[in-house]
Amino acid sequence: MLRYYLELALLSLRRSKVLTALMVVAIAFGVGASMTTLTVLHVLSGDPLPEKSSTLYYPQLDPRTEDGFPPGDDPPDQLTRLDAETLLAEGRADRQALMTGGQAAVLPDPEGPGGAIEPFYASVRYTSTDFFPMFDVPFSAGRPWDASEDEAGGRVAVISKELNDKLFAGEDSAGRALRIDDTEFRIVGVLDRWRPAPRFYDLTTSHFTEAEEIYLPYSTSRDLEMTRAGSMDCFDTRPPGQTETDLGAPCTWIQFWVEISSPDDAASYLAFLENYSEEQRQAGRFERPVNVRLPALMDWLEENEVVPSDVQLQTWLALAFFAVCLINTIGLLLAKFLRRAPEIGVRRALGASRRAVFSQCLVESGVIGIAGGCLGLALTLLGLWAVRQQPVEYAELAQLDLAMLIATLVAAIVSSLLAGLLPAWRACQIAPAMQLKSH
Amino acid sequence: MTIAPILRSLLARHKTAGSLVIVEIALTCAIVANAVFLIGERLQRIQTDSGVAERELSRVQLAGVGNQDDPHGQTREDLAALRAIPGVDSVTITNQVPFGSSSWNSSLHLDPDQSEPAAHAALYLGDADFLDTVGLRLVAGRDFRDGEFLDYHPEEGWQQMLEVDTVIITRALAERLFPGDSAVGEVLYFGEETPVRVVGVIEGLMRPTGDSADAPGHHSVLLPVRTPYTIGGSYVLRTAPSDRERVLGDATEALSRPGASRVVLEQETFEELRAEFFHADRAMGWLLLIVCGALLIVTALGIVGLASFWVQQRTRQIGVRRALGATRGQIARHFQVENLILTSAGIVLGMGLAYAINAWLMQRYELPRLSWIALPFGAVTLWALGQLSVLGPARRAAAIPPAVATRSV
Amino acid sequence: MLHMRTISKIYRTELVETHALRELDLHVREGEFVAVTGPSGSGKTTFLNIAGLLEEFTSGEYELDGESVRGLSDDARSRLRNRKIGFIFQSFNLISDLSLFDNVDVPLRYRGMKTAERRRRIGDALERVGLASRMGHYPSELSGGQQQRAAIARALAGSPKLLLADEPTGNLDSQMARGVLELLEELHASGATIVMVTHDPELAARAQRNIHIVDGQATDVEALPRPGHGGLAATPSRI
Repeated sequence: MLRYYLELALLSLRRSKVLTALMVVAIAFGVGASMTTLTVLHVLSGDPLPEKSSTLYYPQLDPRTEDGFPPGDDPPDQLTRLDAETLLAEGRADRQALMTGGQAAVLPDPEGPGGAIEPFYASVRYTSTDFFPMFDVPFSAGRPWDASEDEAGGRVAVISKELNDKLFAGEDSAGRALRIDDTEFRIVGVLDRWRPAPRFYDLTTSHFTEAEEIYLPYSTSRDLEMTRAGSMDCFDTRPPGQTETDLGAPCTWIQFWVEISSPDDAASYLAFLENYSEEQRQAGRFERPVNVRLPALMDWLEENEVVPSDVQLQTWLALAFFAVCLINTIGLLLAKFLRRAPEIGVRRALGASRRAVFSQCLVESGVIGIAGGCLGLALTLLGLWAVRQQPVEYAELAQLDLAMLIATLVAAIVSSLLAGLLPAWRACQIAPAMQLKSH
Repeated sequence: MTIAPILRSLLARHKTAGSLVIVEIALTCAIVANAVFLIGERLQRIQTDSGVAERELSRVQLAGVGNQDDPHGQTREDLAALRAIPGVDSVTITNQVPFGSSSWNSSLHLDPDQSEPAAHAALYLGDADFLDTVGLRLVAGRDFRDGEFLDYHPEEGWQQMLEVDTVIITRALAERLFPGDSAVGEVLYFGEETPVRVVGVIEGLMRPTGDSADAPGHHSVLLPVRTPYTIGGSYVLRTAPSDRERVLGDATEALSRPGASRVVLEQETFEELRAEFFHADRAMGWLLLIVCGALLIVTALGIVGLASFWVQQRTRQIGVRRALGATRGQIARHFQVENLILTSAGIVLGMGLAYAINAWLMQRYELPRLSWIALPFGAVTLWALGQLSVLGPARRAAAIPPAVATRSV
Repeated sequence: MLHMRTISKIYRTELVETHALRELDLHVREGEFVAVTGPSGSGKTTFLNIAGLLEEFTSGEYELDGESVRGLSDDARSRLRNRKIGFIFQSFNLISDLSLFDNVDVPLRYRGMKTAERRRRIGDALERVGLASRMGHYPSELSGGQQQRAAIARALAGSPKLLLADEPTGNLDSQMARGVLELLEELHASGATIVMVTHDPELAARAQRNIHIVDGQATDVEALPRPGHGGLAATPSRI
């Protein structure tokens, strides 16, 4: 029977081309707009490390002064240098790394495989060795630096695949030298393509920028007093001669991550933080009551409202638009089916059951949905292309994956079937007797 | 033509299709009202006055490679080189610019013991040419005097601000800190014990990143501090608008000359900076406009579709009315009034929905309350849309000949 | 074949209660050609709708081909209509979007027949009404008489037990009407059971037996004997 209904549906749709086109286009635009924005939302609200995000935590302490203390205030987003280095040295978690961002000048070797390249500024992450295994950072050559390099402030560097392509034409550059900010570093590792989205480990600046091009030991960056960038909050006056980045400075600017595989251990890590905070308070360094947090990665992302509110607003707008398109389709289908009331009456008289009429109408809606879905998919691809042309950081992430592709088609078909329910129900209520009168 | 019979027929015979039209119009009305309101918001933001002479300004941002020996000396040389470029009226160096990506901020106190800050503001560090170059207008007090300037040393950082004695503040900040008073001569504190004196008030100067949660867009403080180019600030050049591109090229060349120890990070006109800064707002505005247009088209086509169906369904009835003496105009008016009733019901429902959506947006995205202006706008748009859409079907109905009444179908 | 006992049909609205049929008794035997006549508003159409299972009745008993149809579900009634009844309407009721072939195909499709079987039946039915060469045509391309013959082919294709005709010549001129009537007589001669509702006495006279419905009640009227069918005219008035 399905085949017969399909034949009838195609016939009926061909008979009223304009109305059909109208419904197909309405569904396609609704689906296209919704799926474009939902894809962007899906990409931006995704889990950057699905395999281990639940084991990563971001410790927060409150080292601030009593000055302007409102109870219930959130602790700062970052740690002071002293606290971060202490927590790192304590090593109470399975893995831990401290980090901050910066910019550094790269002076390429004119004789290198990449040819003569003008000096340029590259983004740098100063961190400690656990950064790489903790965040599952993929290497294409070499390896992370050793913990001993962290202690010794070794002149070692890990570079991104993109930088390696640019400087060394993609050759394995492990072991080569690289001049950064007038200092010679030895490259120990080259990353594979790595694009965590959002760049979860540092949310103090833009959320969706690319990961850094160069990774250096944090200890080395302090030895060389390399330029740091990102947010810094100083909450107290410093004694003369002390700078913002000095060990004891009352400034928070370091991000600190820990990996703890069991929730029980997470609870004891939190207890350790409380304990540490209380000790610091008793020693007079912290002034406020103990206020520590240990959010897991996804909670931390949510707390920081990583998904831009414009993207959310656009999604709501698209869904509302889709709703109007659907209501419109319901109305048009109703008109289309009821216009055929005489024919339906004849079919009923000739033995079509209510269910047969209902199915025939639903099949017709479904065909509209399939057509709308195909066109909607094209519009989604076009919409995502348009998003990629925008100068926003997440532009290149706006790609349709298989799941969203299937979702697009399913959304179109399901929504058209839903839109067809009421009209089809009304159509199958048409009484066979009514239409048999001669006028 | 009276409304009552049309209303009765709608309620009795066309409940489903009629309700669909009403719901569709209500949703469209609510979305369009909110979208128009949001577009207005974005437009307003795009037109934010930065307070500087944007059309005449360009900036170049440099960074040193490795440690620079004498950043202040190099900066003075750079300024001289830039001033020498033909077409350059004046040059200054500042730690930040409006629409730039970085901003320096501080809390301000009126009393050193006060724990809650009186305001938050952006800190502009500028040399003696800053005020005139960027085109700020003093509305009270005076500019800084020569002896008041000091050199900024990055290694000492923020601490050095405490040595500043005088500041100039924006009018918006003055009104916030010293309401009703002339701010000139007043004293404020950067959360420390040493006071600074307000010597002048300028019309306005936008914070680099505009409005934020803790401070309005025009809360800015000027400090008489000469910064070296190494701290991420910019050289700002003032030229005739037509010279900007050429001067930027010359400036980049002049600044790159001293060798490979420096890199130009950014070089652009303030108009480019502004366009980039408001890009997201502009894109959102366009998007809202396109969606509104698409919504109105979809709704109009929906009305055309249903109205055509009604006309076809009532062909015989219309023929009978015509046979009984109804004029073409009366038949057409029947459909127009019917549409008016449906649209009006939709608009009433839509207004309520518009406020509900707005209330939700206010709570969720911290948007302001929907201004009532959006409502008549939405209503008139939809009435016009409805009447326009029903025009075709109504005319077709009017064209039905009275002879249809006697014809058996 | 068709047995109606004390069938009543009452239409109720908020204001009035209309008794369309009052305890109607009506019987048609297999192979009969019966004309149902009566003035406007007598209940003819209601009878036809109930006989064709298009409408339910308020009370009474209706047995079609040995099966009681009282209280059957809509689905079951649809199935019965499809298998046992062939409709011939005054306004033909061909579906204008479908070719003759596809029109005749409609009841067969709902019966879920195999393609080859459907083809054969459609061919036979159209052959029988003399429209085999027009099966690709659309209704609008045919004359009224041809359209009604196509509608008869549609009614025949499913080999129904009973043909229900509602003023089958009402929309036709006299020449075309004659052709259609001759076709009905031919079908009767080959064994079909036909119930025809008409207000045309001349037409009714061609049937074997006349049933007159007045005020929702049926009375048998002996049809005038006609040449060639004289022997069948002596049907008893009650079975």
